[in-house]
Amino acid sequence: MAYTKNKIRDLVEGTIDRDTLHTMLSTPKDKERFQIYLEILQEQVPWDDRIILPLGPKLFIVQRKSDRKWVVKSLAGHEFCDWRDNWKLHAVMHVRETDAEMEELYPRLMAPTTSWQVIREYYCPLSGDLLDVEAPTPWYPVIHDFEPDIDSFYQDWLGLELPERAA
Amino acid sequence: MPLDSKNKRSVQVLGIDAGGTMTDTFFVDADGDFVVGKAQSTPQDESIGLIESSREGLEAWGLNLSDALASLQTGVYSGTAMLNRVVQRKGLRTGLIVNAGMEDFHRMGRAIQAYLGFAYEDRIHLNTHYYDDPLVPRHLTRGVMERVDMFGTVVIPLREEGARKAARELIEQDVEGIVISFLHSYKNPTHERRVRDIVLEEVKAAGKDIPVFASVDYYPLRKETHRTNTTVLEAFAAEPSRKSLKQISAAFQEHGAKFDMRVMATHGGTISWKAKELARTIVSGPIGGVIGAKYLGETLGYSNIACTDIGGTSFDVALITQNELTIKNDPDMARLVLSLPLVAMDSVGSGAGTYIRLDPYTKAIKLGPDSAGYRVGVCWADSGVETVTISDCHVILGYLNPDNFLGGQVKLDRERAWNAMKEQVADPLGLSVEDAAAGVIELLDSDLRDYVRSMISGKGSSPSNFVCFSYGGAGPVHTYGYTQGMGFEDIIIPAWAAGFSAFGCAAADFEYRYDKSLDINIATDAADGAKADQARILQAAWDELKERVLEEFAINGYSADKVTLQPGFRMQYRGQLNDLEIESPISSAATAEDWDKLVEAFNDTYGRVYAASARSPELGYSVTGAIMRGMVPIQKPKIPHEELGPEIPPEGAKLGTRKFYRHKKWVDAQLYQMETLQPGNRITGPAIIESDATTLVVPGGFETFLDGHRLFHLKEV
Repeated sequence: MAYTKNKIRDLVEGTIDRDTLHTMLSTPKDKERFQIYLEILQEQVPWDDRIILPLGPKLFIVQRKSDRKWVVKSLAGHEFCDWRDNWKLHAVMHVRETDAEMEELYPRLMAPTTSWQVIREYYCPLSGDLLDVEAPTPWYPVIHDFEPDIDSFYQDWLGLELPERAA
Repeated sequence: MPLDSKNKRSVQVLGIDAGGTMTDTFFVDADGDFVVGKAQSTPQDESIGLIESSREGLEAWGLNLSDALASLQTGVYSGTAMLNRVVQRKGLRTGLIVNAGMEDFHRMGRAIQAYLGFAYEDRIHLNTHYYDDPLVPRHLTRGVMERVDMFGTVVIPLREEGARKAARELIEQDVEGIVISFLHSYKNPTHERRVRDIVLEEVKAAGKDIPVFASVDYYPLRKETHRTNTTVLEAFAAEPSRKSLKQISAAFQEHGAKFDMRVMATHGGTISWKAKELARTIVSGPIGGVIGAKYLGETLGYSNIACTDIGGTSFDVALITQNELTIKNDPDMARLVLSLPLVAMDSVGSGAGTYIRLDPYTKAIKLGPDSAGYRVGVCWADSGVETVTISDCHVILGYLNPDNFLGGQVKLDRERAWNAMKEQVADPLGLSVEDAAAGVIELLDSDLRDYVRSMISGKGSSPSNFVCFSYGGAGPVHTYGYTQGMGFEDIIIPAWAAGFSAFGCAAADFEYRYDKSLDINIATDAADGAKADQARILQAAWDELKERVLEEFAINGYSADKVTLQPGFRMQYRGQLNDLEIESPISSAATAEDWDKLVEAFNDTYGRVYAASARSPELGYSVTGAIMRGMVPIQKPKIPHEELGPEIPPEGAKLGTRKFYRHKKWVDAQLYQMETLQPGNRITGPAIIESDATTLVVPGGFETFLDGHRLFHLKEV
């Protein structure tokens, strides 16, 4: 089933009506969805680089307009790194590792014990948008969440041509 | 129509089915003839659409509105306005008083409310679950300190000052109704009633006029979420309906009607719009058909009936065993669990408008669960529907006449349906369009057949003990399909299948019914003294309910001596989970002998509904509820009765032939006009019997016989 671009926009913005959302959830995905979704995202970002894949509400893998290199970029326009690297290593980071810091979020005794678990927040250096949060044990390395196989996704799953990618 | 025939026809009964889009009226005259009127619904003032629909229906008889209305004896309304109000959560601003510490239970609801009404696939697909906004938001909910335990013992006394404060705060927030619902109030109503009186005092002191609803005055039943939801509905949704019913009643009286409008209620009777408990009129249309089938069965001698109804969106099945309906105690509606007695009916989301899709990965045909509903399908160019539906298959295969759908009001385009079917289903499957469409119909029919079969075998019975009634606009198109090979005793399609629900509403008794939860537990070999004690507990509940039934009839001007009372109870073997509703064989209970009679009636019914060998008297007995029903006699539609004529249908009934596809070949089906066929006519398939609002398909290998009551009997030959 195909949906209008406006319906998909409602979905992206969280204003979609309950009935359509239910139909979307319980029927197989409409094949045009990803492209329409990208078009809508593209209209919403303030820069011209082509979006390849969204990584979060305010984080994308984009094809840099100037040299066709694929990079991770925030909504505000900060370029983090090559799309294959872990962008978190280039973000502004805030670690909650004391009781006082935990209790800014949770009531006392309902927060994790910081010797067992910390909360790491990753921010956009340009806008201060919170882009991701992870809650590992204190010694754990920065998690590389997602290493997408974009080639297969575009070509084999969706039957789309792979956008140009400079090495 | 000649002038003199006007005076001869005396219109007796009016049935109304006010749907979201169309308002149907169903008029029956003294000879049992009937006519159906249709008009667009007018939600702002329902009476406008109703009067229009009546005018249209009566025109067919050459009658004008005021003449016909003056002779009407009775009018029954059923509509979807209240249900829509609840579904859209657009009701009155209602305040709620509950136990302190329990303020969130109403908005949390029961987990099942997150997926009520969903297809099975979605029930197990957690992402689709969601919670609706509560009927009463948290800021209009107040807690009052008190507690009664499940035995009715006061554990914490009522803090009256808290109740007063709660009332004042709600009144200040301009609520339009206040509901009070405490835990276990059905066991001990004193606190709840005391709070009700306090709230009334405060309302008066504030100089306002706000109705107050204590749950125990309406639904003294266990399960507080059900009870609270239902009582809230009285304030939230029923009061606006009362206003619109009053409007309708007034509009009819303006046009000369002398009867008082009644409304179809969930328990299968009709009640006055003045009734105290109006929330139970929330569902009305679909159960009308079941009541109609029961009435036909009682009159014509069918005691076991499988009622099947196919409309645009669903297939509804209800079983009548030994002329008795099954009543469900805690039904759900509009995604709310409720404490209303509801005529039990099972639905699957497969109707004529059900969408057909292919799973993109497995290429399996998937029916529904959603549907085009009144928009028919791709075959109706103006509908905007792009996915093929069951109706499209019917048009492709020649089952439906594209030029006479709803009497020609909607023109269907076979080619459109054909092309869509080819593109969406036939080509991907590598089938011809006919075979794809026929395959879909067979798949649907076998789904429906399995469903009906499992319902009947779930009762420990077999289809050969049942007569199958088939109605609803789309029912007769499928009847042959979902009954084939089932071995029903008989298969009956009323000629007025499309208006059958409205007919059923008109055939329902004027009946009030009240329920109360009880917790009686007793061993089989209990001493006489213990049995008499239990009998007296039951009697006390009956007395309480009787008061309320008589009170309702008094509002409508019926004195107690005019009312027939029928006490009942719900009983189960101790430790079992399901109770049965039993009509009491005695009118009052006081002694051990009386108790034994009640037990005997239960054992009999149990043996009949399940199997004699399944009875388990050694477990002892529990009574879970008392029931009181009160009825007064009313005028009902007569069932037509005509002399049987010849078996050969009159030439005038023939409408030519149409190509019809089944079992991999096209044949010429003889077409007939339903209204012109005469009682006694026998028609052998392949034939299609058309009327404005329904189509009866008689494929090769089947024959149908029209009896003197204008009922078609369908038979495999």
